[in-house]
Amino acid sequence: MKLFCRILITLVLLGSNNVLADVVVECPTWADPGHTQIDYTGGTFADGNSDGMIRADDGEITDPISATQVCLHLAAGDGLVNMADGYEQYMFGFANATGTAAADVLNTFMEGAVFPAPTIKVKQGDDVYITLTNVGMNRRPDLFDPHTVHWHGFPNASAIFDGVPDASVSINMGSSLTYFYHVVDPGTFMYHCHVEATEHMQMGMLGNLYVTASQDEVANGTVLGTYTKQAGDRFAYNDGDGSTRYDVDYPLQLAAFDPAFHDASLNVQTLPFADMDDKYPMFNGRGYPDTLAAAGALPYEHGASSPVSTLMTPTAGDRMLIRISSLSTTSFHTIGIFGLKMQVIGRGSRQVVEPYTTNSITIGGGESVDVIVDTTGTTAGDKYFLYATNLDHLSNDAEDYGGMMTEIQIQ
Amino acid sequence: MILIKRQLEYSGLIMLAMLLCLIPVSGGAAIQGISGTSFNFTASSGHISAADGDDVFFWGFGERGKLPQYPGPTLIVQQGDTVTIRLNNHLPQNTSILIPGFKVQASGGTPGQITREAPAASTTEVVYTFIADRPGTFGYYSGTNPDLQVEMGLIGAIIVRPSGFSSSAPTAYGDARTAYDDEFLFLLSEMDPEIHHAVEIGTDPVPTTGFHPVLWFINGRNGPDTMSANHVTWLPNQPYNAMPSIEVGKRLLARWVGGGRDHHPFHTHGNNYDLIARDGYLLETTAGASRPASELGTVPDLAVSDFTQNVAPGGSYEGIWSWTGAELGWDMYGHTGSETGVCEPGPAPPSTIVNGFDINTREYCLDHGKPLPVVLPNAQQLTFGGFYSGSPFLASEGSLPPGEGGNNPSAGYAFMWHSHNEKELTNNDIFPGGLMTIMIVNAPDM
Ligand SMILES: [Cu+2]
Ligand SMILES: [Cu+2]
Repeated sequence: MKLFCRILITLVLLGSNNVLADVVVECPTWADPGHTQIDYTGGTFADGNSDGMIRADDGEITDPISATQVCLHLAAGDGLVNMADGYEQYMFGFANATGTAAADVLNTFMEGAVFPAPTIKVKQGDDVYITLTNVGMNRRPDLFDPHTVHWHGFPNASAIFDGVPDASVSINMGSSLTYFYHVVDPGTFMYHCHVEATEHMQMGMLGNLYVTASQDEVANGTVLGTYTKQAGDRFAYNDGDGSTRYDVDYPLQLAAFDPAFHDASLNVQTLPFADMDDKYPMFNGRGYPDTLAAAGALPYEHGASSPVSTLMTPTAGDRMLIRISSLSTTSFHTIGIFGLKMQVIGRGSRQVVEPYTTNSITIGGGESVDVIVDTTGTTAGDKYFLYATNLDHLSNDAEDYGGMMTEIQIQ
Repeated sequence: MILIKRQLEYSGLIMLAMLLCLIPVSGGAAIQGISGTSFNFTASSGHISAADGDDVFFWGFGERGKLPQYPGPTLIVQQGDTVTIRLNNHLPQNTSILIPGFKVQASGGTPGQITREAPAASTTEVVYTFIADRPGTFGYYSGTNPDLQVEMGLIGAIIVRPSGFSSSAPTAYGDARTAYDDEFLFLLSEMDPEIHHAVEIGTDPVPTTGFHPVLWFINGRNGPDTMSANHVTWLPNQPYNAMPSIEVGKRLLARWVGGGRDHHPFHTHGNNYDLIARDGYLLETTAGASRPASELGTVPDLAVSDFTQNVAPGGSYEGIWSWTGAELGWDMYGHTGSETGVCEPGPAPPSTIVNGFDINTREYCLDHGKPLPVVLPNAQQLTFGGFYSGSPFLASEGSLPPGEGGNNPSAGYAFMWHSHNEKELTNNDIFPGGLMTIMIVNAPDM
């Protein structure tokens, strides 16, 4: 079946678009020793340190056009992912194709989308090139959907790189489009496809995206207001006073699937937009207790789970930064930690003017909130539950004790 | 889901609809409404047109002698005014008006549970009087059987201008922290047409407990009707559009009102806004305290920068939004560097912007002449949006295949402003539509 569809899609690509479809990875480089000519298509470089991206400052780009250049390649298409009750869901999504030769991308990533989308973590000041290749829908060869990348919350975005299909362009099957972002601000963002947003987002084209602060780079011993930077300190924002300091950070993206919608998509049925009703609330693509399992897809009888773990394992005394974002398409969610308090230090990718302490965070689709959890006073072996206090979001469809829940296991 | 056939239908129908209906609003558009101190309202029934083509029975407030409308007339009054609303009622049940945020005196009519009411099917008036003692954005709502009547459409917005308001140098609250160049209202609501149908055919009692909204509105219209002109003849009961636009480097005041019973997370593509007030109260530590805005000028010191506003039922919110294009890393006009410009100083710290903006083009000077960092694929590899000018550059028209683009004649940058509960981007099971509109950022008029 897979092979058949692959051939069919290939034929359609050749037929409908002639030979105009083309996978092109844009990671620009200097074309000449005098640095006057840019080779926009640069080349495909190897991800030497396996951090999921090609970085000039990791020495992975030959003749980069800027010292802060970062290149990523995402493949957009379809795939399958198991829910925590074992139910396999058809999905649309992204996969990290960074480092794959252009000629191999369609074959390698067809039906290879993962949920959630690969986490994008870059640094303030980076010049980020994200190439998006539309590899088509292997299970739905009747579909010809374009895709986009929408960097949700990017400040002073241009329309062309904002990924809203109505406002600019989206990329057709078999082709590639490269987005550029000069990353000015640190913070917790998110990304998703914006084509037919209700459908493509419910189907899973969602991922974590955050930018680390340049204050991370200051030398140990630097005085930041009333605080002096210590070894290992990192900062959610350029706070100038250490108030957003953390030892360990965890992205926590909320999203949920409606199996009736996903099944309708797989079975070429009318999509139930008005009756969309999520039954699988998830943290980073998994329901509890799968949220606790280590990184790497969990095998099920048919297929496998999301590869992302949401187990949090701070050492007692650590300040944890939890980067909460929601890309839920139907609901608000409220998140609490039983026994630990949260200090809200950021929202909407900006440091908040007035931090406050709370036991619950209510978050709607497209919102992000940064909280610091200070584990001072806890002991190794302690366990705390982080969960949706909307108790109906604690299930994997009919299965109880699931959904939006994970554990903070103190080391 | 785009099947080839569907794609043709989609682009064909939507494009046709857009071209027929769309009259793009250029800069300077104001909030539509009625000004004064004394207003005569009648509550009556009619039909609104949902963007899926359905006519939905509704109850609305209207100026007496005119059609009921959804939402009711936006009242624009001055701080300090004594405002009087006289309401009579052609509906089959009593109705009333609540104006949260003000001390309202009610007289006439008949006593009700929360306030005095205009009796059903009668010319008898109830009179509401209040002193608009503080500026801001407010909602008004039926206070009678509100579970049903708010759903049926008996809602509206009030804008109170600050003392000393000048339309040539407008502010929301009377000082520079709340100054703006253009203002837009976004009254968000939703409807379950089953309830409306039950009312229309006389079901009694009306079942409202199974509330299942399938229509979502900004200013009483579903997308894409949100983007048609104000007062189009084919939407006689929905006079207000919701199509914001602004020039690069200007301040926009967004006024959000939660008009229904659900929360809506409203996302502003293009940039963060600074939330300056909630329910007509400035976010400040002490009167006049300020901080630099995210982009331009100042805002109250406790203003919250964010990219999605949770608009709660009965709540109101005001945000200052600007788009400067600072630090794009490429020249937004596609200049090649030979053009000369005049740069003014950059904004004050803690902004990290070290250079300023061209006084004519408002271009971020350090990006002047920098090429677009990527090569776009050829046209056959792309799907084009109706609001794409054909060029990645501001105020530039590129070549587009026949039938593509066309909704953005000023070649501004188009940004979708919408509910991020993406389910709400539909009209009764049909995508696209619902709680969405397009914000256009235009180059300055040079
Ligand atoms: Cu998509
Ligand atoms: Cu978004």
